[in-house]
Amino acid sequence: MGFFDFLFSPPGKKAEFVLAYEAAFGNKIPASRGLGLLPFVILDTETTGLSPKSDYILSFGAVKLKGFQLSMEDAMECYLQTPRRSREAIEVHEILRPEELITLEDFAERFLSYIGSSIIVGHHVGFDLEMLTKALKPFGFRKFLNPVLDTHSLAVRLEKGPHYDSSMGKPGEYSLDSLCERYQICLDDRHTASGDAFLTAQLLMKLLKLADKKGISSYGELIR
Amino acid sequence: MSNVIVNRVKEFLKRFPPFSFLTEEALAEVSQGVVIRYFGKDELLFSKGDPAQPYFFILKEGSISLIDYVDQEEKVVEVCDEGDVFGVLALLGKRPYRLTAKTLEDSLLYAIPVAVFEKILNENNRVALYFAAGFASGQVVVRTDLSQSQKARTEFSELSKDNGLLIFTGQSDLNFSKDVLTCGPELTIQQAARKMADAGVGSIVIANESKHPLGIITDKDLRNRLIATGKSYDTPVTELMTSPVLTKKQDALFSELYLTMIKFRLHHLIFTEDGSDKSPVVGILSDHDILLSQGNSPAVLIHALMNTWEIAEMGKLRDRAEKLLFYYLENEVSMDFVANIITEINDIIIQRIIQLTQRKLSDEYPGMDQVKFCFLSLGSEGREEQLLRTDLDNAIVFEDVPQEKLAHTQAYFLRLGEEVVEGLLNCGFHACPAEMMANNIQWCQPLTQWKKYFSDWILTPSQKAVLHATIFFDFRPIYGTKALAEEMSQHIYQEIGDKKIFLNFLAKNALLNPPPLGFFRNFIVEKSGEQKDKFDIKLRAMMPLTDIARLLVLSHRVIGVNNTYKRFEKLIELEPNHTELMQEAGKAYEILMRMRAIEGLKNNSSGRYISPDALGKLQRQLLKNTFSPIDELQKVIRVRFQTDFFTG
Repeated sequence: MGFFDFLFSPPGKKAEFVLAYEAAFGNKIPASRGLGLLPFVILDTETTGLSPKSDYILSFGAVKLKGFQLSMEDAMECYLQTPRRSREAIEVHEILRPEELITLEDFAERFLSYIGSSIIVGHHVGFDLEMLTKALKPFGFRKFLNPVLDTHSLAVRLEKGPHYDSSMGKPGEYSLDSLCERYQICLDDRHTASGDAFLTAQLLMKLLKLADKKGISSYGELIR
Repeated sequence: MSNVIVNRVKEFLKRFPPFSFLTEEALAEVSQGVVIRYFGKDELLFSKGDPAQPYFFILKEGSISLIDYVDQEEKVVEVCDEGDVFGVLALLGKRPYRLTAKTLEDSLLYAIPVAVFEKILNENNRVALYFAAGFASGQVVVRTDLSQSQKARTEFSELSKDNGLLIFTGQSDLNFSKDVLTCGPELTIQQAARKMADAGVGSIVIANESKHPLGIITDKDLRNRLIATGKSYDTPVTELMTSPVLTKKQDALFSELYLTMIKFRLHHLIFTEDGSDKSPVVGILSDHDILLSQGNSPAVLIHALMNTWEIAEMGKLRDRAEKLLFYYLENEVSMDFVANIITEINDIIIQRIIQLTQRKLSDEYPGMDQVKFCFLSLGSEGREEQLLRTDLDNAIVFEDVPQEKLAHTQAYFLRLGEEVVEGLLNCGFHACPAEMMANNIQWCQPLTQWKKYFSDWILTPSQKAVLHATIFFDFRPIYGTKALAEEMSQHIYQEIGDKKIFLNFLAKNALLNPPPLGFFRNFIVEKSGEQKDKFDIKLRAMMPLTDIARLLVLSHRVIGVNNTYKRFEKLIELEPNHTELMQEAGKAYEILMRMRAIEGLKNNSSGRYISPDALGKLQRQLLKNTFSPIDELQKVIRVRFQTDFFTG
């Protein structure tokens, strides 16, 4: 499939890798499964802006966590070709040679096979998922079938209890920066997709241990 | 793969040795293989006895305690901090974990896969040596590479308080009494005993008005020096006390305290503020405290040895000492300490057997117990280096007696020598094939004859005589009148003077043994026979060092330093221009001793023949590195003693 092929494909025609992705969701994860056995993919995207409609993904970073282990070999990092040159794109990409940028299609295929049916985790992950859904649309992707966990809401839930209204709190109290500071995670490589994914993953490990202590020790209790 | 994240890991790793030695590429390769693991408080990473995981660990944040279980009791051996590397020993040795690792708080670890790291070990000498130095031996050797890794190790030690998994941590786990019962010197013994009874303790320290210790009185003293001798209860304490007392600082290393007590057979060691007896008493350590902290320990063994007259029992205890030895060697306890302990145990066995024999022979040879004599250990036992029960080398010197009594006296000591040697053989020691033992009439002689032997060796040496005589220059008094041994030393000192020819012979002798490495830097192995393809660690590596150390020390007319590595230490003082070389030689010797002993214990052999193929890469490297000071020293000797122009 060439770069522009999707423009001519009938709308809704699913690429094979999308079908493969959907097919992987056979059995649901049993509610009683312990935290240590759950597969997580912690991801982050860098985009040209905050509007899913007009902005697009510049880079993507993710790590996998299972059994409180994350392996360097399983980390994923991509810099995407962009439809047009923009200031933001140049800032992110300036150091990269064009051959290091991958096509949207290559990304889509690698991304979906990478996440599989793992639990998707991110900080304010809703935004990333929106951007990703848009990016995957041309390949017949409709929506994410994975369970989703937001480290932002998890942190609020653990610190303030399940019924807390976060609009009542101080602004920025649950930003990735302040959480990292609070949980003593060294802030490096902030605002690169991989860097943020790595920070979020470290935060997730700490939050999961904390959750476990508070009695949230199974899949069913974690993802409600 | 994510470069950003890998870089993050890389940046952390490169701050700590051994990663700091790696090139950027190698470090990147290692970092790519890292698995990050997170553990909550009080979780187990691995347990003692678990098979080694295919990773070793570096602590990113948090803290981990390494715990040993002795008699079901938990004992914290080490606490790891950020940057500490652990779990390496098990991995390199492919052995189960010897300790349990447990988190003290939430901890983040980087697990480094062995597979990746092994490749690096093979490619990077420095890293291999670093591990060899820090973990496999407890000590380092050699040249540029070595001094680097040695330096690294020092830095590393400071950083992490040495996580080489030592047995002896500080003395924090040693419980001693801070509340010391003291009394003034003006008291009578009864008043002092009253105080002891009231306090319910077995000892009292006699101190002056500034609380400086003057002496000590124990339960045993009351029994032996008061009641048994029928002295008056009004005797002043100063007359009965043991004085002066040995004092130490309370933060002295446990091994030092321990050794002092064993060496001087102390039951009590007094702590003072500055460690001297001119400062106030702050605590007292009893051998009981030590026993409690040790379980199966040298102190227990020595205690048991001191309480038996059964040779069979002594043999069993010596077997137990061997287990302890193996444990020490495997746990990288310092060679100085290990050799000291084993020497002490060997010495006690010899002393006990001599005493036993003296009693046995007393009826048959009346009056002979009045003749002064000294039992000498020669060779490796003389040098305090005999870890394994290899060949016995010993001799007896007795005082000069009138000619008419000589035959009878000599017959007595020969019997004594015979019985002692037999006793030692029963304890598992092996006989010297060259019969340099106290049961050989040649080596059971009066002082005059010994002086003559030494004079002959020194004044009219021959190559063959020197070859056999060298071990006699390593004699050490074990039992009896030490003055006789001292007189021998003095005699040697005077005779050597500037007898160049003797030193030339010794030098020639020191160069006799072939170099350990062949042209292609391969080990020179035995060409045929039972030990075919094996490397003779004693002949090719240890003997040259022993011979060189002896030669150099004697050439400086230093007598009384017997131990090979202590001789090298002495030589640092004597030849400051060769400081580095002497240091390396001393360390090389310690490593060789350790390797040989481990080999011997594993195969129940003398440990002399090592098969290079069976050694791990690291061990092989370590062994090869010990050769470099040999080469260097032999060169020095060739020039200094002009051996190439000298044909003896």
